[in-house]
Amino acid sequence: MKPVYLAGRGLACALGQDMQGSLDALQSGGVAPAAFRLPGEMGGSFPYYAIAFQQKDWNERARDLVQRVAREAGAQHMRSGVLFVATSSFDIGAVEQGAAQMDYDAFSRKIAAWLDWSGPVYVINTACTSSLNALIAAHALLSAGEEEEALVLGVELGNRLTLGGFAALQLLSQHGCKPFGQHRDGLVLGEAVAALKLSTREPALWQMLGGANVVDGSQPTGASAAAVASMYQRALEASGLAADAIDLVKVQAAGSPGNDAIEAQGLRAAFPVMPHLVSLKTALGHTMGASGAAEIALLTACLEQGIWPHYADPVDGELGVSLAEHMPQSVRHVMATILGFGGSHATVVLGRA
Amino acid sequence: MKTFAISGRFVETPPPADWREHLARMLGAKPRRIGTWAELGLYGALRCMADAGEKMLPPDVQVWLGSRRGTYAATDTVLGQMRDDLPMPLAFLQTQPSQLLALLAAQLQWQGHACFVAGGEPGALLRLAAAQAGKDGILLGWLDEMSGGETRWLRLRPCTEMDGGYIAATAETLFTAQISHLRLSGMGLETRRAGQSALVQE
Repeated sequence: MKPVYLAGRGLACALGQDMQGSLDALQSGGVAPAAFRLPGEMGGSFPYYAIAFQQKDWNERARDLVQRVAREAGAQHMRSGVLFVATSSFDIGAVEQGAAQMDYDAFSRKIAAWLDWSGPVYVINTACTSSLNALIAAHALLSAGEEEEALVLGVELGNRLTLGGFAALQLLSQHGCKPFGQHRDGLVLGEAVAALKLSTREPALWQMLGGANVVDGSQPTGASAAAVASMYQRALEASGLAADAIDLVKVQAAGSPGNDAIEAQGLRAAFPVMPHLVSLKTALGHTMGASGAAEIALLTACLEQGIWPHYADPVDGELGVSLAEHMPQSVRHVMATILGFGGSHATVVLGRA
Repeated sequence: MKTFAISGRFVETPPPADWREHLARMLGAKPRRIGTWAELGLYGALRCMADAGEKMLPPDVQVWLGSRRGTYAATDTVLGQMRDDLPMPLAFLQTQPSQLLALLAAQLQWQGHACFVAGGEPGALLRLAAAQAGKDGILLGWLDEMSGGETRWLRLRPCTEMDGGYIAATAETLFTAQISHLRLSGMGLETRRAGQSALVQE
């Protein structure tokens, strides 16, 4: 098995249109979400972490963001590695504008053309866990020596269908994102384009050690505590680590009343001694299919620069977990978790050199 | 090199007119609220499992699903609903291809790794699946409801058999009835027909 390194990263999100801009905004206390208005009786105004990049045409906006994020990740010279595009909504925003046709292959070709990519392209959609499943798939190809480089590109950009669907399922908060919070009342969605460059030939500070994805059919829109615990156990086995080797877990904690409680229950079952926990949802919102890549990009940069998110709402004491208020002293092994639709529970393990 | 024996196969392109009745008989009731694409997937997967002689998936199996157009019809419906109002909640869920993975998990009393790959072709799906496959193998499906529909499934078990008789193959032949084994190597996809090894040895 070859070691797989996180050799580059790029991010555009509500915090900023590149990594340094995002870190600066987070250090200054973050940004307030914008508002997204939906029609109908159950519609209304919902907070939404949009990327502050004004451009009316969905395709042009997406192209500019994808190109700049890939460039930031150091992918400008990558043309023949493997490209994973991770998304839960494809280019549905362009379909809503009448500028695309709901065609997976056309979407894939469009992204490849934006990046002038000649290698294989895989489009992964496992809803909110898409980016983590893309990372797990990329890690398998690279560690086996089948490929030397991969770019995992998480793309989740504004569209009415996703927001309308989440609103119809009554999963959205109208007040704000409160991870594990005492007053949590739903998710706040967001936009992100994030790129993670993986390489077996370019040693870097962070190494991807493994991961696991566990699909459970008991809750179509929610998490299962048994699946959360199983996911952590499988990921630890895949990475060759024991639970007590984990210093920090980036949790999902999207602010859902039910799911946050289930996630906390799963964490307690998986870790006899709880590692430090962090959530980035107050900084980015829940960026769905892009969230795994976006949050890993931001978290690793935060750990390197000593920047830490702030939580306004106190943690719900009944959950039996807490979020670290300051960056832990020493972080060598990190798990990054996303829980999503389709009963999907995914986590990856990163080790710091 | 990864080699797999095909222990179950089900291919219908298109499925017969009464496939929904057949699915209802297998489930013991007519499925509700899951959409045509997912129903067609469930139908093919359960028939493939029956062909493999399995009712439940072993824990280490991985489920890999691919599709050229996925939940196109459900998405089109929801886009129509969104013109004046929020969509119906269940209609929105039907736009999510990964919902089928959860349905399969529930139906096959299984919890494990499953992934949906959008577009491409079955050979690319197999490559990703083979790279991660564990000791219990793969349930691999290719599914579309457009143009009459297609539901194609293979139950693949890893094997160490190294006999000859493999020939280079294209993704289109992956689901062919005569194929008993397939392998992925630096040469790409290769398949072996049932009985081919004996013929070569003679």
